Amino acid sequence: MAFPGRVHPSVIPENEEVPQMALNGVHQTNGNEDERAVSKLQRRQSDVKVYKEFCDFYAKFNMANALANATCERCRGGFAPAEKIVNSNGELYHEQCFVCAQCFQQFPEGLFYEFEGRKYCEHDFQMLFAPCCHQCGEFIIGRVIKAMNNSWHPECFRCDLCQEVLADIGFVKNAGRHLCRPCHNREKARGLGKYICQKCHAIIDEQQPLIFKNDPYHPDHFNCANCGKELTADARELKGELYCLPCHDKMGVPICGACRRPIEGRVVNAMGKQWHVEHFVCAKCEKPFLGHRHYERKGLAYCETHYNQLFGDVCFHCNRVIEGDVVSALNKAWCVNCFACSTCNTKLTLKDKFVEIDLKPVCKHCYEKMPEEFKRRLAKREREAKDKDKQKKKKPVCL
Amino acid sequence: MSKSLKKLVEESREKNQPEVDMSDRGISNMLDVNGLFTLSHITQLVLSHNKLTTVPPNIAELKNLEVLNFFNNQIEELPTQISSLQKLKHLNLGNFVSAGGSVVKITVLGLNCGARAWCQLTVYSWVAGLWDVWNGSGRDGPGARSSTATLRALYLSDNDFEILPPDIGKLTKLQILSLRDNDLISLPKEIGELTQLKELHIQGNRLTVLPPELGKLADG
Repeated sequence: MAFPGRVHPSVIPENEEVPQMALNGVHQTNGNEDERAVSKLQRRQSDVKVYKEFCDFYAKFNMANALANATCERCRGGFAPAEKIVNSNGELYHEQCFVCAQCFQQFPEGLFYEFEGRKYCEHDFQMLFAPCCHQCGEFIIGRVIKAMNNSWHPECFRCDLCQEVLADIGFVKNAGRHLCRPCHNREKARGLGKYICQKCHAIIDEQQPLIFKNDPYHPDHFNCANCGKELTADARELKGELYCLPCHDKMGVPICGACRRPIEGRVVNAMGKQWHVEHFVCAKCEKPFLGHRHYERKGLAYCETHYNQLFGDVCFHCNRVIEGDVVSALNKAWCVNCFACSTCNTKLTLKDKFVEIDLKPVCKHCYEKMPEEFKRRLAKREREAKDKDKQKKKKPVCL
Repeated sequence: MSKSLKKLVEESREKNQPEVDMSDRGISNMLDVNGLFTLSHITQLVLSHNKLTTVPPNIAELKNLEVLNFFNNQIEELPTQISSLQKLKHLNLGNFVSAGGSVVKITVLGLNCGARAWCQLTVYSWVAGLWDVWNGSGRDGPGARSSTATLRALYLSDNDFEILPPDIGKLTKLQILSLRDNDLISLPKEIGELTQLKELHIQGNRLTVLPPELGKLADG
């Protein structure tokens, strides 16, 4: 324990003269008969006197002797005869050795604080060892209030809500705050509608507490079991552990291909992805399939209507999407029932004999009824087309 | 034995058959076919390979007609009543030059396309005044709306056309255009507006250059 000591060091004056001791007895060497008449008592008194003076002499002599042999407590050096010596509680120091262990300056007004065998000037002692007030940040000298794991000036330790000085009235901890009793009771009444964190037992002020194993908590009490990040209210519980949202999502919880959020509930598996039931919709009309058949094309899903509308073959004759068998001929498509001769509308099948005029089917009968000139011209066109094809195949194309 | 025309008409009426086939029956006048125009329920009337030179206005009574086939007749004129057939989608007017050699010109007068949704128009003949067919503006003035914007296929092969009117660009839904064996010297640049065009037949013409706008249709 440190203890302040206020010591006025006594300084032996420089020019003190050692009083000459005259030993009465010494000077009278020859005793004459006449003085033998002195009484024995007188003689004793004078003996005593002589003893005392003698002792004094020796004391002073010893002092001087002692001083001659004295050493500084700090540097263990001796003292010069006329040197100033500091005497502190019996310890002797050179003037320049009696300094603060921190700043090596002499102690202002001789005031020093001692701790663990070292002496410090007031300033450095405070700097090193005095507590700082948690409220104002200054050193605390004198009465220290220790509370809430901190130190305070008595004046600084106040109720967080009403600023009343708590030093003598006591306080109550409330949601990490130090409140006077009245404020605390008021808070308690106000906070009845809110969750109480089951870990720190303070009111959860945020909108959403983190619910873990059916209990509410402040999210920041916990860390993600995967990445260690401090959790927020977004965190998710999975198999008894808590994870931050990104880690949770990465762990195999299906993510909807439409809204990119995890799917909690029924999952639709289609097109190599997962979907919320209501998000798996036709790419054209955006109506959910709700279990009905969907038709895929180019990575998109369509309802039957729109799939046919967009990709279904349209009949050359009736201009409707062909439902059922498709007759494919002449770069076009027909419903089975629509495929007919373009000049007499007689129904045709691909097995029937027909010719092509302007990429339209013409039955053999109609063709034969056409004027010869016309048929000749058509034949010529046919030949020309075939020759051109042959030429294309033979000649390499010059680029 | 093929049935008589009378029988065909009766059958169609009684059995409610929508399609009537009277091709190659030597018919020279539709009015000769008794009761033909009472078949107001029919959707298809085939009169190809006959000898028709004209079409009576009674045609309007067959208001459910969707397909009307006059291929290989000698029709020179169509009545304006044709335009009253609201459901008519396929009209085949392919006619050949008569054996006599004189050019038969079909002048199609006042054919108002009205609100009809045209699908196909086939004309295999030397036809003048054909522009009226789809212009709809010939007789009815500039206010008339042409509905041939819905026309999907237009076959004008084996005709005499030297130029194609720029109105061709109005047929925005046209997918097939056949101009085979005409006398076209050039094609109008409006052809580039036919973004839906899938087939373009231009063989047998006198084209020396093609409009660069055709390049726009390359992706069609």
